[in-house]
Amino acid sequence: MPGNILEANNISKTYGGVHALDNVSMCIKAGEIHCLVGENGSGKSTFVKVMSGAITPDNGEITLNGHTYRSLNPIDSIREGVQVIYQDLSLFPHMTVAENISMNKMVALGKKLVNMAEVRKTAEEQLARIGETMDLDCPIDEISMANRQLVAICRALSLDAKLLFMDEPTTALTNIEVDRLLKIVLELKEKGLSVVFISHKLNEVFEVADTITIFRDGRKVGDFNSKELSYHSLIYHMTGRNVEYPRYVRKATDDNIRFEIRGLSRPGHFEDVNVKMRRGDILGITGLKGSGREELALSLFGLNPSKSGQVIINGKTVSIHSPTDAIVSGLSLLPEDRYTQALFPTHSISENISSASLPSITTKAGLLDRKGERQNAINMVAKLHIRTPNVETSVQNLSGGNQQKTVIARWVLTDPEVLILDGPTVGVDIASKVDIYEQIQSFASQGMSIILISDELPELLANCNSVMVMRANKVVGFLSNEELEKPDAADRLQSMMSGGGDDFQPSIPVLEAQA
Amino acid sequence: MKRLKKYINQNEWYLMGIILIYSIIVTTQNSGFFTLENFFDVLKGSSGMIILAMGILVVLLSGGIDLSFTAIAMFGGYSAARLMMATKIDNLAFAFVVSAVIGILLGAVNALIIHKFHLPTMIATLGTSSLFSGIMTTFIGTKTITVGMMPKSLRAFGGFRLFEMVNDAGSTYGLTVFIIPVVIVVVVTWFILYKTMLGRGVIALGNSEEAAKRSGFNLFWIRMFIYTYVGLLAGIMGVIYVAEVNSVYAVALYGTELTYIAAVVIGGAKLTGGEGKILGTLLGVIIVRLLNSTLVFLGLTSSWNGFFTGAVLLFSVGLTSYMSRLRSRRNLTFTD
Amino acid sequence: MITQMKKFIRQDTTLTVLLGLLIFLILLFGSILQDKFFSFDNIQSMGYQIPEFAFLALAMSIAMITGGIDLSVVANANMAGIMAGYVLTGAVFGLNSGMSDLTLVIIAILVALIVATLGGVFNGILIAKFSVPAILATLGTMTFYNGISTAITEGKGVVGFPDNYLSIGTSAPLGIPLVFYIFFIAFAVVAFVMVRTPFGQSIYLYGENRIASLFSGIKNEKMIIKTYALAGFLSGIAAIIMTSRVNSAKYNYGDSYLLQAILVAVLGGINPNGGRGKVTNVIIGILILQILQSAFTLFAFSPYAKRMIFGFMLLLIMVINFIIDKWGARSKSIAKDSEVVPQEAK
Repeated sequence: MPGNILEANNISKTYGGVHALDNVSMCIKAGEIHCLVGENGSGKSTFVKVMSGAITPDNGEITLNGHTYRSLNPIDSIREGVQVIYQDLSLFPHMTVAENISMNKMVALGKKLVNMAEVRKTAEEQLARIGETMDLDCPIDEISMANRQLVAICRALSLDAKLLFMDEPTTALTNIEVDRLLKIVLELKEKGLSVVFISHKLNEVFEVADTITIFRDGRKVGDFNSKELSYHSLIYHMTGRNVEYPRYVRKATDDNIRFEIRGLSRPGHFEDVNVKMRRGDILGITGLKGSGREELALSLFGLNPSKSGQVIINGKTVSIHSPTDAIVSGLSLLPEDRYTQALFPTHSISENISSASLPSITTKAGLLDRKGERQNAINMVAKLHIRTPNVETSVQNLSGGNQQKTVIARWVLTDPEVLILDGPTVGVDIASKVDIYEQIQSFASQGMSIILISDELPELLANCNSVMVMRANKVVGFLSNEELEKPDAADRLQSMMSGGGDDFQPSIPVLEAQA
Repeated sequence: MKRLKKYINQNEWYLMGIILIYSIIVTTQNSGFFTLENFFDVLKGSSGMIILAMGILVVLLSGGIDLSFTAIAMFGGYSAARLMMATKIDNLAFAFVVSAVIGILLGAVNALIIHKFHLPTMIATLGTSSLFSGIMTTFIGTKTITVGMMPKSLRAFGGFRLFEMVNDAGSTYGLTVFIIPVVIVVVVTWFILYKTMLGRGVIALGNSEEAAKRSGFNLFWIRMFIYTYVGLLAGIMGVIYVAEVNSVYAVALYGTELTYIAAVVIGGAKLTGGEGKILGTLLGVIIVRLLNSTLVFLGLTSSWNGFFTGAVLLFSVGLTSYMSRLRSRRNLTFTD
Repeated sequence: MITQMKKFIRQDTTLTVLLGLLIFLILLFGSILQDKFFSFDNIQSMGYQIPEFAFLALAMSIAMITGGIDLSVVANANMAGIMAGYVLTGAVFGLNSGMSDLTLVIIAILVALIVATLGGVFNGILIAKFSVPAILATLGTMTFYNGISTAITEGKGVVGFPDNYLSIGTSAPLGIPLVFYIFFIAFAVVAFVMVRTPFGQSIYLYGENRIASLFSGIKNEKMIIKTYALAGFLSGIAAIIMTSRVNSAKYNYGDSYLLQAILVAVLGGINPNGGRGKVTNVIIGILILQILQSAFTLFAFSPYAKRMIFGFMLLLIMVINFIIDKWGARSKSIAKDSEVVPQEAK
């Protein structure tokens, strides 16, 4: 069939009896943007790996540019113009922009010697194709995440990509950077490139997609024209059920101020932050990446010392210089990056849960109360619906959602007055998300004060009874419970985050300077 | 200035500063230090270390570490000398060929073990280091080669000077012939690292193994190159070592490998891979050798070598690590 | 019974492999060497030899569980031994200070322990406060401590200790060497601390993911300094045992122990990347190494042949571990393939 760059027919792949891909067929047209959506474990990544030749399917055949392959190997795949940009980008951090762009091409051409002039020329040409310029001699680890993403695109283009797979390309980018990236993707499409875009951020999917293919449990649910789908129907197809996030209602009657931030500042990170919270309040803090929200959270947790201002818990000014101080003062933080900042992958669920409460499970004789540790873990597993055979299982064997619940359990066990959750549902599938929201709300109902840091508006609207917006290190807005219930709340938050709807403000260089 | 900055980094300026200050201090204490004769002496003493350091740099750039090169150097050098004595082939080229082949073979063993079983390079080469040294001493011998037994070609090579001069006291001195292999090794290493795709592959591997694999580099052959190259250099260094010292003890270099690595690390190479330069490595070796061979000018015995080398190493790694710690705290990544 | 055994094997493969190897070696050497191997003399001499490097191996193991390494253990022990030696030979207090031998011995022991502990604290400060990677910090201090020893002794040995000091290394109450009692108690204490105290738990957590342990409110820096101080303290005990056994202290004594210490730690299943491994398994590793040592001595192997075999052993164990891991990973990776693969924290 002309016009199709890729046709996959009846692809199946099983691992240990489980269907990672079950009889999946799909076509990708030349010059279209095709989005793959589905929950974690639904088969998207396996599909990409099959198309790149990294894994061989048990059944099925793949046709690329009219050539049919029963088993595709990586070299054939590249020769047919398939390029994959993985989430980690696979760049060389200590090598220059020019080398990173050109390296794969040099290897593919079978070069033996390095011709620096040619390396630079290739890099310049590819950057020109996407209409960007960069310092070619700058090492990758000194440029912003957005520019790294562009380098990875240029590298793929240098290899004459006809079909570009992008796996979660926007996760680490700020909204403005995302817009720039999506604009480039749309331009590439105009030039005839096919792009397969994998993203959890559904608004982005709707923004760029021509066709959306939905995966669930290793099967293809269907191909949809993006105009046919609504947000709700998309989620319905992904999860197989209608998902409604319950809206939080504060029930506590004690209106005394329990937690207060007064004029907290750290120039360049956050300035003059003022917050007052009661029992059972869920305060949302939102803003773009680099707006100061994460810096503020780390500061409250003792990892980013503030220059001035006070933090007051239960009427007492506390001085927090380390996470230990924070926990003792009744303040806990669920960090944003689960894998690097929270998990002990080979340790058991029980040890992961107890890790922030070691002092409280230590007996007077200075010994760990292993029985108590286990019992705590069992209680938490039940409370948070963590799906696991037992508490001795190591967390690396859990799904992303259950790992996240384990980490939340760790912080709940410290019995904090104030619990800060930084991106509690990043990389978590929708079913677990609903679970986590229910738990957050139930903890608040039991009296905990919760600060929820997020840039997912539905998440904020469902869970918070007030939201604070940060932009460029300052608090720029505040929405009360009543304002959040109005239909324009999402739009208001969005415009406050990005600066009054002004899409063309030149804030990328500013953000880069901070990175 | 910007061009210069591209070729000389901050660490290298520090090292040059240290060398300069040290030299000034020693010169004020003893005029014998700042002479051509002493310069040639230090150069001769540094030759073997520079050659090995180039190999170590290549391994560190790839994100690995090799602890077996001293065992390989002795295996090569000692076996070559013993073979020459046994076969009566008294020929320098023969010595180099034998030692180099042994080095390459043993290096290939390292590469195979590391690649096939994904072992941490440190543990793997720690094991092969004992294995190689043990095999040599068990099957080839442990007899010390004394000056009388030494093949003539080796002895001549050790004493040969490219040109000679006479000092005030009337004794001759000159530039050692070792400078030739040293220059060749440095230039070849530079060429491979910066001008060939193989060298780029080594550095790519050190940057990110996964990314290097996805780029299409053949990691097996890259590892094969890395460890056989170190083996080759160790083999060459073995012959130079045997020629330099007058009596060869079978396990002489064994156990000194960490000193060589220390020199390269002082030169700015990172154990995490991907970072390290030839100029820095040369400066690192010069510092270690200066401290080892010129303390006498300050009236200190060679017993103080370790003390000063250790102090410089601690200072240099302490400083660079502290800088990256501050950077990581500032960026709120907490990785260091 | 069989299911119980299966469960046991699955729970701790390292222990199973080690115990199997230990029993195999005992049977092998027992059947070849028979009475020579099982003789009182042979067993007692093992009892003398084990503690000497066991303490260094223990120090190495706890450093490796933090994800670091302590290359300075032997140099630190020698430095401590030399300082103690100066006390014992009267170089510090003078020969006619009127101090009894016993007082001198007690002071010497304290000096050895304090010096070695301080050496460990210095390692810990470099690693915790300056963020120097452990391998570089201890490579530096190894050279530095060795340098101090060489400089102050000018490379000579410190010899001639009082008899009651030597009796530490030579006496054998109830036929069991005194040093073996010390070894046994110290190992029991350290194993207990590692498993049952918050300090031990923190070491494991830090070794697995030190950013996560920081975010869990564990005092990383203090804990690292304490851990390396403990490693230093254990090196100090090794120093006392070594010097009292050979009646001298020298800068390069026990050079080969560094390799052996790493070997035993890895053999005992301590993961060089940190966070995993049990001190109790290291004891079995030590027993295996000692049985090999003794058997080789009875076979009259040269020290060089021993070195060869140890090198081979280290590689073999690593390869076996690799194969077991791969086999284990394959049977576990059900349905996990398509999930986002976490990037391992560095």
